[in-house]
Amino acid sequence: MTSEASQNILPADTAVATAPTLKERVEDFLAHEAELLDERRFDAWLDLLDEDIHYWMPLVRNFEHGRPQDEYSRPGVDAAWFDEGKATLRQRIMQLQGGDHWAEEPLSRSTHMVTNLRIVAASDAEITVKCRFLVYVNRREEEVRLFIGKRTDVLRPHGGDFLIRKRSIFLDQSKMLFKNLTTFF
Amino acid sequence: MIYEDMGRRLIDTDSGLVDRAIFADQAIYDKEMAEVFEKSWLFVGHESQIPDKGDYFLSQLGREPVVVTRDAKDEVNVLLNICTHRGMPVCRYDRGNAKLFTCPYHGWTFANNGDLTGVPLRAEGYGAQLDRSKWGLIKARVARYYGSIWATFDEAAPSFEDFLGDMAFWLREFMMAPDGEDDGLEVVDGILKCEIPSNWKFGAENAAGDLYHDVSHKSVQRVGLALTKLRGRHTWDADPAKFKLLNITFPAGGHAVRGNLYENPGRDYQSQWAADPEVDAYFRDAHYARQKRLGEKERLLNRGGIVFPNFVYNAANRTSITSWIPRGPSRTEVWKWIFVPKKAPQAVKDAMRNYLLRYTGPAGMVEQDDFENWGSAQVGANSILARRLPMNYQLRLGDHARWAWPERWIGEGALVDEGVSEHAQRIFYDRWAEMMSGTPQAFRQEAAE
Repeated sequence: MTSEASQNILPADTAVATAPTLKERVEDFLAHEAELLDERRFDAWLDLLDEDIHYWMPLVRNFEHGRPQDEYSRPGVDAAWFDEGKATLRQRIMQLQGGDHWAEEPLSRSTHMVTNLRIVAASDAEITVKCRFLVYVNRREEEVRLFIGKRTDVLRPHGGDFLIRKRSIFLDQSKMLFKNLTTFF
Repeated sequence: MIYEDMGRRLIDTDSGLVDRAIFADQAIYDKEMAEVFEKSWLFVGHESQIPDKGDYFLSQLGREPVVVTRDAKDEVNVLLNICTHRGMPVCRYDRGNAKLFTCPYHGWTFANNGDLTGVPLRAEGYGAQLDRSKWGLIKARVARYYGSIWATFDEAAPSFEDFLGDMAFWLREFMMAPDGEDDGLEVVDGILKCEIPSNWKFGAENAAGDLYHDVSHKSVQRVGLALTKLRGRHTWDADPAKFKLLNITFPAGGHAVRGNLYENPGRDYQSQWAADPEVDAYFRDAHYARQKRLGEKERLLNRGGIVFPNFVYNAANRTSITSWIPRGPSRTEVWKWIFVPKKAPQAVKDAMRNYLLRYTGPAGMVEQDDFENWGSAQVGANSILARRLPMNYQLRLGDHARWAWPERWIGEGALVDEGVSEHAQRIFYDRWAEMMSGTPQAFRQEAAE
């Protein structure tokens, strides 16, 4: 490698000086959020949620061609894996934090990956972001769970950062292939 | 065969001992599929899942895949979801509406009542000799009971009513609305399905009468789940009225119920949903309407139970049904239906749904810890060394249980024990052993005398 090449990779006068785009800020925010979950900093994670958050993961069904409306259970009406507001998410976190929630004692190790991020709508009040996620969970010795799916987040600008106003999580499995859903997405 | 006489060798309900092999051994599993599951009436779903003609949903009858349909004559059919030609499932959607099911392999077509209606090449290929009436989908016997749908493929099985016996009172009571109206529940759309790494019997026997695993649910008690604004996870936790806690079992069928019997009739309503006045008002009215409707029997609070072998229900506002579907000695598919009162205001339905989704299933704050337990119990079932000792079901072994106690109207065939006890699990395994070996065990013999 020549010194010329390394200068091309990191031109000192542009990388630091250029203001990040909205997309970069959103990416950073979601990566930071994922890290809080993976580092089990659940109280800090809660702080990123809007007081009015709707956190929803529908059931998934095998549906007939021509009846795509059958694929996901409906929000606010049907059964769901999660249909939560901030108060119940807080409850779930309090349950995790007591040392007596045996399904998560000892706590899992997890890695959240967020990718294919795309801003699909943005106003001063709201930014709608679509992405794909891959969540790997390992617990005790041999318990392994792998969750893959699609997510739509609605973020609200908050100070210099964001709050999560709405999160819809679409898992790519119809039957839950694992015994527990103790993970946040 | 090693387990030829497995009933007597593996289960001894007189001494309260159960061999761990029954949770782990493949040969025992194969035999229990044939002797227990294929000879019992099994729950497949609820009529509110198929309100209109042509509606259908997929279900399981033990390990057999079925499709449950409402046909043009408004009859409910439970059909083996397997083409009679080459064995393909003819329906591959979790639910929908269809007059016909066509096999995607060779195009044999079946009506939603199971009749074979179309065979390609019928004239030239089969010389018009194929008797379509013999090649319809295999149909199960079907029983409908206050909205619930049951089936069996066994022609020799007793009628559903005989199979249920005195348990009928409890199953009917479970399907009532909170105000005591018959057939008062409707399913919330969407069955929660998950897979747990344990034998199906751990979940089933737990529902029969395990009343002392509170340590498992300490975290929910601490956080609080009931909408009473109090700690706890049940709405009845708010009720200070005195009651006897009963393990009501029916040895003839192996069924069991957990129930509170309140000392005094006509007890006052205790606010159980104080977080929402509209919901609270509904349950207050329902409480008094139920007292009027049920009379003396309103003293009973149905907490949940099991129709042998694998139908489990949770009652008393936790209205859900669980089907434990065996998939192997150490693998079980759990299907869960949640219910709300049909005629209740939307606010009540919403409150119930929210409570239930937080309570039940793999994302439920209560059952997460149950599933953890049963997955862990499988470790002990699989351990060859641990099998030197049988599983211990000796809690309150002895002469505690009494027939039709403390009220005769609980059922002549009810053998009842009070408080924390493993009496109901002993009855469960007694019935299991009888079906496996053909030999009546302790409680069955006593019941016959």
